[in-house]
Amino acid sequence: MIEQALHSISQFYPEIVIILTLCVIIVADLIIKSDKPVTGWIMLGGLVISGITILFQAGQNGSFFYNMVVVDPFAVFFKLLLVLAGIFVVLFSLQSKELDSYYTRKGEYYMLLSGMMLGMMLMVSSTNLLMIYIAFEVTSISSYVLVGFTKKETDSAEASTKYIIYGAVSSGIMLYGISILIGFTGATDLAAINDALQNRADIPMILNISILMILVGMGFKIAVVPFHFWAPDVYEGAPITITAILAVASKTAALGLLIRFFSVSFIDSNGLTATGIWQTIEGIHWTTLLGGMAALAMIVGNLTALRQDNIKRMLAYSSIAHAGYLLMGVVILAQEGLASIMLYLFIYLFMNLGAFYVAMLFSNSIQTESIEKYKGLGFRAPLESIAMTIFLVSLTGIPPTGGFVAKLYIFSAAISGGWIWLVTIAGITTVISLFYYIRVVKNMFFYKPESNEGIIQFDLPSKTILLILLVPILLFGIYFSPILEFAKNSVQIFGM
Amino acid sequence: MIEIDWYLALSAVLFTIGLVGVLIRRNAIVIFMCVELMLNAVNLTLISFSSYHGDVTGQILVFFSLAVAAAEAVIGLAIILAIFRNNLSVDITKVNLLRW
Amino acid sequence: MITNFGYVLLFIITGALFVGVALFVSKLIRPDRPNDTKLMTYECGEIPFGDARIQFNNRFYIIGLMFLIFEVEILLLFPWAVVFKEIGWFAFFVMFVFVFLIFIGFIYELGKGELKWDIPAPLIPRYEENVGVIEEEEKRETVPSAKKL
Repeated sequence: MIEQALHSISQFYPEIVIILTLCVIIVADLIIKSDKPVTGWIMLGGLVISGITILFQAGQNGSFFYNMVVVDPFAVFFKLLLVLAGIFVVLFSLQSKELDSYYTRKGEYYMLLSGMMLGMMLMVSSTNLLMIYIAFEVTSISSYVLVGFTKKETDSAEASTKYIIYGAVSSGIMLYGISILIGFTGATDLAAINDALQNRADIPMILNISILMILVGMGFKIAVVPFHFWAPDVYEGAPITITAILAVASKTAALGLLIRFFSVSFIDSNGLTATGIWQTIEGIHWTTLLGGMAALAMIVGNLTALRQDNIKRMLAYSSIAHAGYLLMGVVILAQEGLASIMLYLFIYLFMNLGAFYVAMLFSNSIQTESIEKYKGLGFRAPLESIAMTIFLVSLTGIPPTGGFVAKLYIFSAAISGGWIWLVTIAGITTVISLFYYIRVVKNMFFYKPESNEGIIQFDLPSKTILLILLVPILLFGIYFSPILEFAKNSVQIFGM
Repeated sequence: MIEIDWYLALSAVLFTIGLVGVLIRRNAIVIFMCVELMLNAVNLTLISFSSYHGDVTGQILVFFSLAVAAAEAVIGLAIILAIFRNNLSVDITKVNLLRW
Repeated sequence: MITNFGYVLLFIITGALFVGVALFVSKLIRPDRPNDTKLMTYECGEIPFGDARIQFNNRFYIIGLMFLIFEVEILLLFPWAVVFKEIGWFAFFVMFVFVFLIFIGFIYELGKGELKWDIPAPLIPRYEENVGVIEEEEKRETVPSAKKL
């Protein structure tokens, strides 16, 4: 028993590093009384070390801690994405002016952020319903507090209230679904659930209902229609850095969990090898459900984004729409679909974080999040505005940016999977999305600034971060084969 | 010996009461009480299935779900304190700054 | 050979000893400075009787929340205690890590001064002749009453 546990611990270094970071931040916050954001740098260091330890796990495929947690290429890919997003968000937080008025509580901010990172890393690598639930809740509980971090502002407290009410209810519903699933299969391990379901002659209706209930919890985290109502309010009220991590990392983690859960539990393993397309277990119809949700997310997200004025809110609706495009990759049920999702997530990370970062820079210097007030910014802050334009163009999916490649792959995978109607909707909504993204660009460049508004200066670190975010988007627009290869090699899911 | 159906029916009823309570009540604290009711209904389901299968995994999950529920309640109450300081009320119909 | 009743007897004796010894030792160690506030029912300056619907100190609420967190963690100790004998030192190590993490949280709470109890003057409803409880009513105009909660 001890040998197995010690062996498991040796595969658990990334998470252990994050836990230690959390403890060190707590102690440092008590001991060091300095004006400098020491805790932020500690967390940055912890994330970098954790990222390096994840790199050492590449290519492994095994299960640890009595089948609670796995290390497989799929988990490694997602953990790398999460750590990367975490590093960027910490860098953003170090520059955010919004958080500065709460400087005495900066330590709390970073320890909650590391708690959230831990939860998300466990979400993508757990294979047991118990572990899935705990990881899900660790992520949620940390993010509830983080959303309300600037609690003296009314909208932040309000966003936090809405988030926790939605979150608590949907996780309660998910737990009910989990309990029914456990009751019917008598197992908590995902592979064991698959076995139990395949050996059953009939699938009762209640099982489909329990899947629907579990989908409520996961759909809430991904912010997909019809479980998206919290997203715009929470994204608008939260500090921008937290909005960024919710829109990117939290969504990525939940999508990883959803893919692992559905494709391990409900895939008919007899039909795996014959064709490229997998079969679900007879009587369980979750692909149609997910397809419908994806279509709704694309339509609702893109249409509602058209009439938003707050940049965070606009990006929130756009992220709902992107969740729709991502789910489209899940319903294809093929290696190709999963690879295209991973490519999409990788590029989505850079472009969405970039858009949030520029929004944060503008909010730091001109104290506004309103798109109307962006008029003339193209002349006052030319470099940042051009960067914003590239991020938005990439979010729309226009060549030669990375966003185009990502969308192209996911669309072509869906066509080869036979989901023509879904791709049609996706194509039309992509065109619609152009309008609201371009509106920001129009406001920045097509209006002259007022005469009393001078050029806005930005410091060197912020320009560097912007460049780091910008290069991958432009690079992957032209030369994307290595990352595609990486994604294709990473679709091996343990136990499938 | 009471059959498992009755336990499941009870927990389904409790869960529904909790869910309806969340939807119709306006007081944030009562909403959290209803969420707790939902979670406890789930615990009942888990325990009854666990004793039906003669397998302790469900009960272990209940331990964790209780701990998580407590953490969630604490965070929720702390957040309610924050909105109370801003609004001087815990009526969630007054939490309506962010719309559309 | 001790029978089952013998165990119960031992248990009772140990329990009684625990109480007696603890009280005696703390009597030797603790400072003894009785004053008016300390001799009241709750030993902390809270008014022991009166209207139930007064606004009591916010600190109670916050400390209650903190207590809740630490209390529920105890729950996870019970299944551990049951299997402790079978697993042995490894279980001890695992629980040590768990308690250590909670301990760090506790240290943080203590270090941030969240357990300090500097109490503002409590709201005491004052009764006046012919007017009734005027003070309390006025307070309820400015601060929302418990009823609205």
